[in-house]
Amino acid sequence: MEDLLEQLIYGLTLGSMYAMVAAGLALMFGVVRLINFAHGEFFMLGAYAFWFAFRVLRLPYPVAGLAAALALGAFGIIYEQTVIRSILHRSWHVQLIATLATSIVLTNLAIIVFGTQAKEVPTALASRVLELGTLRIAWHRLLVLAVTPIIFFALHWFVRHTKPGKAMRAMSQNREACAVVGVDVERVALWTFALGAILAGAAAALVTPLYNIFPDMGALLTLKAFAAVIVGGFGYVQGAILASFLIGITESLAAGYISYVYKDAFAFVIMIAVLLWRPYGLFGRRIGI
Amino acid sequence: MKTIVSLLMTLLAAAPAWAQPIRVGFASAMSGPSAITGEGVMWGATMAVEEINAKGGIMGHKVLAFFADNKGTPGEAVSAVRKLVDVDKVDVIVGQTHSGACLGALPIIKELQVPQVTEACSNPKIRELSGVGGNEWQFRVNIDDAIMANTFSKYIGQQVKSVSIVAQNDDFGRGAAAAYDAAFKKFGVTLVSTEFFDRGQADYRPLLTKIKRANPDAVLLVMLASDASVFLRQYRELGLKPRLFARGSVATVEFLDLVKDNPGVGDGVIEATFWTAALDPDWEKRWLERWKTPVRIHGSLAALTFKYAVVPAVELALKKYGKADRKTIRDALEQLDVKDTPLGPIKFDDHHQAWINMVLIEMKGGQLRLLEKIPTSPAILQ
Repeated sequence: MEDLLEQLIYGLTLGSMYAMVAAGLALMFGVVRLINFAHGEFFMLGAYAFWFAFRVLRLPYPVAGLAAALALGAFGIIYEQTVIRSILHRSWHVQLIATLATSIVLTNLAIIVFGTQAKEVPTALASRVLELGTLRIAWHRLLVLAVTPIIFFALHWFVRHTKPGKAMRAMSQNREACAVVGVDVERVALWTFALGAILAGAAAALVTPLYNIFPDMGALLTLKAFAAVIVGGFGYVQGAILASFLIGITESLAAGYISYVYKDAFAFVIMIAVLLWRPYGLFGRRIGI
Repeated sequence: MKTIVSLLMTLLAAAPAWAQPIRVGFASAMSGPSAITGEGVMWGATMAVEEINAKGGIMGHKVLAFFADNKGTPGEAVSAVRKLVDVDKVDVIVGQTHSGACLGALPIIKELQVPQVTEACSNPKIRELSGVGGNEWQFRVNIDDAIMANTFSKYIGQQVKSVSIVAQNDDFGRGAAAAYDAAFKKFGVTLVSTEFFDRGQADYRPLLTKIKRANPDAVLLVMLASDASVFLRQYRELGLKPRLFARGSVATVEFLDLVKDNPGVGDGVIEATFWTAALDPDWEKRWLERWKTPVRIHGSLAALTFKYAVVPAVELALKKYGKADRKTIRDALEQLDVKDTPLGPIKFDDHHQAWINMVLIEMKGGQLRLLEKIPTSPAILQ
């Protein structure tokens, strides 16, 4: 029983990371109708930003985390202005190539700037362990589980109660109607990319103390988050979040009880199964945030 | 004008008179998840080539180094060899660091007839496929996992009764796991479980929970430093007690640099390998001065392979045949007999395998200790 509980906790931690990345990806698709294949690299950049703030500048953990999230928000704005704005009205082929190319460029830039040696950013909580009988959990893992719902609550509050959030919701429902009634759709796109990037930066700052940082850490993460977005119903943020936890828990149970090496395959097996069973994702045709 | 011409002529006369340069290619993973190895190879090779050229090159022939990225994969290794041969026109290749890339490069080096000297690929298949009855262009300085497994398993068998293997999911990891599986049976060690992982994993906890359930006396890690740092942190988090043995680059300064905030996570790991910084402290010192970063195992191996196998082979080719082209370098490698190197003797057998020393390293309190230097020979495989 404790064994199962342990695997569930790992699954929830993993799910938290997938969920924050997938939420940004779903948000971008929901509002701007564009799949950002460089989103995993946003997470990677967030991790390096956090490493710089925490290890190089030696800022306290919460400040370093906040700085990483904000730095990524600024990067999201630059990315939207330079890459996205020029491809927004082009075909999906162009968008696919442009975002994929960005992901390759960012990975290689990280190799040049930060080197290939992995970096570690353990916090004090990452090496302190909570012992409950035979159950041993690092305190930082519990921090991830506690902070993730707070981040999602803040996201929910932002899109429900703020003016930019309401505009994002409106645009996710009908972009043309928004433009007709005077909503500045380009500004909303900018907000969306900034918010998606902040989520990736926050996820990186939250989970990398448990793992390590290396230049191509974003590649598989993009695919997993993409699978979660598909399973959750393309562009439906809450769906993507729930699907991420489903994938994280399935992956953890599969790794613990079936095969560790094939655990990554389970995310994609779930995706294919859901697409066969419900072609529009678990939550149906509900594009929107 | 006259002054300029005479000045130029004086400068030309003063310049060292280099004979035709020797072009050496270095192939390793310069990008992708294993890019750290290629970066090290580039640094190590640059240093070694500069040092040789500073001493006048190889019998007056300047050495030119060329690099190619194999991404650590078989397919890209073919492109790397083609680039080094077709574009850079190299006379000999040092590489490919990763077993999969080595195996992938074997057919193309044979087709293009370029000698390749391997510095770190430890898949046992490479020995079977090289030399007599196989690929005459492939040579290997490092010992492989079948050779090491037979020695290390005997050592492990004297300490524990049961072992779980955790290995990376590639030709290196799978080759080593198969070799240890066979060797453990020979020395009465029970193999409780074998788990593979893809490199760059974030969370090993589910795998560690499986090990906890299996409850072996020891765990054999077949992995590189960057994965080991995450794995061992989580190993300690879970409070696992089995002893730790390793193959790869766990008991290394690279690993200790990654865990410098808590070097105790590596305590007790005993690694079987063929190179450690302690074998050549002067090299480590020069590396630190030059690159301001801890010495890298794969970069050092590429540099030593160049220095103690390729350079003497080129010298032999020049002395014996009066030229150093691909064919004469290959022939010289077959005749090579270098007795004293930091790695041990380098003399290639019929399968183009050198029998250098195996070393056991212990990690404790952030320090590496050379436990034992064990000479190897074909008799180990009997």
